[in-house]
Amino acid sequence: MANTQTTVPLFVANTVLTAAQQNISAGTGVPVFATTVTRDAAFGGSNKALAEGQLAYIEASNVVQYYDGAAWATVGPLSSGLVCVKAQTAFSVALTLNVDNVFTSSYSNYKILLSLTAGSGSITMRLRASSTDTTTNYKTRTIYGTSSTLFAADATGTDDFYLFDYDAQGGGAEISVIAPQQAQGTTISTVTFGSSGANGYIYNVAGYQNSSTQFDGFSLFAATTGITGTYAVYGYSKTV
Amino acid sequence: MTMKIHDNGTDRDMTEQEKIVYLAWQKQKQEHIKAQEKIALDKASARQAVLDRLGITADEVALLLN
Repeated sequence: MANTQTTVPLFVANTVLTAAQQNISAGTGVPVFATTVTRDAAFGGSNKALAEGQLAYIEASNVVQYYDGAAWATVGPLSSGLVCVKAQTAFSVALTLNVDNVFTSSYSNYKILLSLTAGSGSITMRLRASSTDTTTNYKTRTIYGTSSTLFAADATGTDDFYLFDYDAQGGGAEISVIAPQQAQGTTISTVTFGSSGANGYIYNVAGYQNSSTQFDGFSLFAATTGITGTYAVYGYSKTV
Repeated sequence: MTMKIHDNGTDRDMTEQEKIVYLAWQKQKQEHIKAQEKIALDKASARQAVLDRLGITADEVALLLN
């Protein structure tokens, strides 16, 4: 007996509900199975046949599947390459931002998106573990400039990553963080639009923190006045 | 002076200890910035001194080198 539901009946008082109708109703819900093996066993048998559109939920993989007439396919949730691990969060007039428990073993690499609307001064970044900043062994290489002039700068053995200068003309940063939770050095790279005086500046920073500390967070510092804006953190999936 | 910190989703006033840590960092950072500015200024002064001795402008140097 196929489970195909080809009608959407509307029952009214005194309508007869047949066994066939009841079986269709029972068979077209989303049955839950521990694994694909128990799913196949449940849909097997001489008096049953899979119908195109049949649904099943698999507990082992937490997915909903449908039968396409030839095989089972996954409806969702689909795996994503970039997963939000810290929802967009607003801050106001802050001289320091502490963001803990965002780097975990679930992901190796991360993206931080920072948007600023007010404040001024140099913005720097530190890596943190157990709510404590690490203040040694940072190095940064920076290329920055306006539309007409480029500069280069480097710093080694500093107490933070220098990211960019900001003076409330609007701007933001895209910060990639490579392997912060692993027992190896952590690399960052940034693309930032900042500003200094009347000019808009691009900052392209590569940074490295040389230690095997397994970081779980980061902090940002504003050197002159408190900054206002938002940030969000994303993890890059390690699997397809 | 009110000094704010954003602590894991919450904006609040810094504690006294946090103020001390931040102000020490800020002082060191501003000294570093001043030192960098002095280096840049010294370089510009030295460059201008050379230009003055040669009796040409920076634009004329650029023309020669390009």
